[in-house]
Amino acid sequence: MISAKDIVSRAAPLLACLGLLAIWQVGSLALQNDSVPTALEALRAIPAIMGDKEALINILASLRRMAIGFSIAVLLSIPLGLLMGRNRFVAAFFNPLLMVIYPVPKAALMPIIMLWIGVGDLSKTLVIFLGVSLPVIYHSFEGAKAVQEKMLWSGAAMGLSAAERMVRIVLPAALPEILTGCRTGLVLALITMVTSEMIARQSGAGNILFNALDMGQYDTVFAMIIVIGAMGICFDALFELLRARLVKWSEPQFDMPLSFS
Amino acid sequence: MTTRAISVDIALGLVPLALLVLLWQGLVSFGYAPPTLLPPPGLVFMRLINRLSTFTYQQEIAATLFRLFAGFLVAVLLGVGIGLAAAVSRPVNAIVRPMVRVLAPLPKVALYPALLLLLGFGHESKIMLVAADALFPILLSTYYGASTVEQKLIWSALAAGTSPRDVVFKVVLPAAAPSILTGCRIGLVISCIVVFLAEMITSTDGLGHVLVTAARTFQAVDMFVPLITISLLGLSLNGLLQILRTYLLRGFPEV
Amino acid sequence: MNLLSSPSGARETTTPASGLAIPMIEIDHVSQIFQTSARKDHLALSDISMTVGDGAFVSILGPSGCGKSTLLYIVGGFVNPSQGIARMKGKPITGPGPDRGPVFQEFALFPWKSVLGNVMYGPRQQGVKPAEAEAQSRALIEMVGLKGFEDFYPKELSGGMKQRVALARTLAYHPEVLLMDEPFGALDAHTRTRLQNDLLNIWERDRKTVLFVTHSVEEAVFLSDKVVMMTRSPGRIRDIVDIDLPRPRRRTELLLDPRYQKYVVDIERLFDDTGEAEVL
Repeated sequence: MISAKDIVSRAAPLLACLGLLAIWQVGSLALQNDSVPTALEALRAIPAIMGDKEALINILASLRRMAIGFSIAVLLSIPLGLLMGRNRFVAAFFNPLLMVIYPVPKAALMPIIMLWIGVGDLSKTLVIFLGVSLPVIYHSFEGAKAVQEKMLWSGAAMGLSAAERMVRIVLPAALPEILTGCRTGLVLALITMVTSEMIARQSGAGNILFNALDMGQYDTVFAMIIVIGAMGICFDALFELLRARLVKWSEPQFDMPLSFS
Repeated sequence: MTTRAISVDIALGLVPLALLVLLWQGLVSFGYAPPTLLPPPGLVFMRLINRLSTFTYQQEIAATLFRLFAGFLVAVLLGVGIGLAAAVSRPVNAIVRPMVRVLAPLPKVALYPALLLLLGFGHESKIMLVAADALFPILLSTYYGASTVEQKLIWSALAAGTSPRDVVFKVVLPAAAPSILTGCRIGLVISCIVVFLAEMITSTDGLGHVLVTAARTFQAVDMFVPLITISLLGLSLNGLLQILRTYLLRGFPEV
Repeated sequence: MNLLSSPSGARETTTPASGLAIPMIEIDHVSQIFQTSARKDHLALSDISMTVGDGAFVSILGPSGCGKSTLLYIVGGFVNPSQGIARMKGKPITGPGPDRGPVFQEFALFPWKSVLGNVMYGPRQQGVKPAEAEAQSRALIEMVGLKGFEDFYPKELSGGMKQRVALARTLAYHPEVLLMDEPFGALDAHTRTRLQNDLLNIWERDRKTVLFVTHSVEEAVFLSDKVVMMTRSPGRIRDIVDIDLPRPRRRTELLLDPRYQKYVVDIERLFDDTGEAEVL
């Protein structure tokens, strides 16, 4: 039997969305500011954006770059993080370097990178790659570090080589933590993508956003905000589903900076 | 860890940095990179020290720092306040939880244009953006710390005569301190990043603006300077927070 | 041996000052039902009725899961009974308060406060001025044997020392009743016996009413005037045993005393009878 309580808690995020939109609607009517359209007006502008072929191609190209940057980052960062987690020297070697890079906003590297390798796909993908790498390395590192020594000893006793132990014991054991890092990385990928487009101003969702701002098309501005927001929420939700599937054996994790899981 | 082990670690850690600088210098000296695009490290550091002593640059740093701290402070006050409230009060929890789930994965930077329209192009819009981005890690850490406080601690305080309302400030808040400070650390780094980015996107002053100006005039040296500055700022602020954390949490066992 | 629900007890009848016959603690047909995560109802306590006289040291003895801690929490006011009512000096217990001071197995010391800070907490809550509270607290800290450790933090103390601080902290706000929830359960055997001795020494000074939860028969017999034996879940009172041994009790003497040994053996046998051999 599904109780009323269950239905409410399942629908809560949706209700929250509607609630926020409602607050927006009321707020904008109260503000009576020309530059702040109501929620309904913004929503109505969305189909126009989605229908615009060029804009759509633009956005999809951005997403493609994001996907490539994310994938490569994950493929390279996880092994590095795992190695750092199990080997003190590797950790000591890379740690300071990473700590120095951490507070630098990767999107801020856009101008320099563009100066070096031009304004094509590579520069944008590179920036996304850098942005995603750090959290994934860090979480892989933490996850690998936390693997109990005794598990590895059991593996060694069973005849597994060091490399096999890494892949067959450390990797699965650290997987929950690694996936937390990937989730952070995904959020950062989207943010880095949008931000670098706002800075580099050539194509993509961030660019459309600021173009509309410059041209005074405020409906479009807010419509794009909703679109980008929706993208963020969808990716996160999809990733959560994937994560739950992959590590359903693990104890509930707390994703510190992210959200209630 | 022995002092020898620590110094080995530090020495080892400096190696990649040193190597990077050497590589950098090598690229320039051997002509692999034109000096206009990749200035030699010596030049960059000279420039950095140079600019740090000028008043105009110090003003830029001040502007950035001001927005950074203001935004961070707002995020701390709101984050800790809402996080605590959601942990101890069921109705607040019911309202806050779904809203956070919806808002947290949203790239707050997408809200920047809206903030610009609402608050103008000055300090306020940037401060609010910083606050919006730094808010969630702090809120979630506070909520987590506050909702996992050991029940017996609360009971001990109640038995000693503390009112349920006072328990929140006298027991829940201090007990959640380790978690809250971890969230603040993340929030601080995010504040550094966001303020810099916001200044890059639209601003008339601040470190981000310096970078963008230099980019427009193709001055590679001047582009490195603000980047290194923000990196150093981030490191220093992080270090200060760590010191504060060690002091505040001196009674807590290490996790 | 006394049977179920008989309101026996050592000094229950009158306290010189009041001349009233109201027991210090009265548990009146208390039952406790918990909802487990499987949405089933779990009966933890079933129709418990008993009284505790002023100044009596009463142990609640039973296997794990019998609800003895729950019973203690109900008297402490931390948990509300599903049925029935608990009273102190005739008045219903509705919540926690400084008249019933708990000491927990996990110590539950405030990690952000020093030893002195922890002990001073209660008096400060009651509005005692800082200087006075500090003086009182230092005296208590010395009484529990921790002089010199006032500025230490709980994390720097051993288990036994932490429990001493917990005891001092509770005594600091002068509760009339001490509620002790397997306080020595997390300690090694040697520390446990030392703390048992010290507890009795401290208790002898003003003879507060004590409710002491344990799963150790020897501990219960050594410390108490009365042992309330509980069954396995759902917890009921199986027997109440009066422990008629002279005070002050010295462990070395008692261990060789045949009366003590008989009590321990008889109680263990009672538990064995129904296969509840989880009691130590």
